[in-house]
Amino acid sequence: MKWATRAGVHIDRAASAWLIRSRIDPDAVFTFIGDLDDLPDDATPFDIRGAALGHHNGDCTFEAILRHYDLADPILWQIAEIIHQADLDDDRYDAPEAAGLDVTLRGLSMICDDHHVLDLTAPLFDGLYTYKRQHLLLGREPA
Amino acid sequence: MATTVTAKGGTVRPWVLLSYRLPREPSTPRIAVWRKLERLGVARIGDGLVGLPDGNRTREQLEWVAEEITDAAGTATIWMATPGNRAQHQVISESMSAARAAEYRQIIAEAKAAAGTADDLARTQRRLRTALRSVQRRDYFPPPEREQAKIAVAGITTSSTTTAATT
Repeated sequence: MKWATRAGVHIDRAASAWLIRSRIDPDAVFTFIGDLDDLPDDATPFDIRGAALGHHNGDCTFEAILRHYDLADPILWQIAEIIHQADLDDDRYDAPEAAGLDVTLRGLSMICDDHHVLDLTAPLFDGLYTYKRQHLLLGREPA
Repeated sequence: MATTVTAKGGTVRPWVLLSYRLPREPSTPRIAVWRKLERLGVARIGDGLVGLPDGNRTREQLEWVAEEITDAAGTATIWMATPGNRAQHQVISESMSAARAAEYRQIIAEAKAAAGTADDLARTQRRLRTALRSVQRRDYFPPPEREQAKIAVAGITTSSTTTAATT
């Protein structure tokens, strides 16, 4: 399936692309566009103004995707809190990881194109997921 | 980022503007939007017209506020604009700078007030660091108070060791 998002990806779009490819559509192909007007007919838009998979009711796109596809995995929702804070920084959640992740993504987007950012960040989010899973199972910070 | 050369040869940086209307009632979304715009540190250019210096991030921030406004049955449009002359740019940037300066002064005052007390200084420092970061994020035309506030907050715990040593 084809998916489209705005060019110049940052935290919310990188994390959403990871979520789509790892939990919704393993064959996802991503295109980066400037505007909803440039949307290819066969692509599902996300994190673009006017798209259902965008910011709504104070949620970021990552949260919108979790809701839309009924992904109830509590670890994904923990990651959603980090993405939300990194993207919106509105103090809705306590996610101290957010600030670091945000600058990491900002820096990457300065030296890589969008496809490369997705390739580099996928293992980062895989690792974050495993870390958060360990954390939940142990009930404390993993060693 | 593109700049426009004015008749006098000076350059004026582009801005991203959000023009919006929201129904008076219900008031909850109106207040939510107002708070969000305050948090972004927008220039209030007119009634229902706000702006930020243009950039990928600022454009995106205003686009999401626009989305929130249309979700709440309002209307919102995003515009790219350059001030007609440098004087106008100056007036707006100075008012934004002055607004941030006032916020920094508040932080400086709180830092100084804490230094002389028996309060939990490390905790006060943590709180003021958070406050400082959020002001810095909406600071597009840094006033001198920016650096002073940073020094004042950093000094909360160092001045406590001095106090402890002398007492």
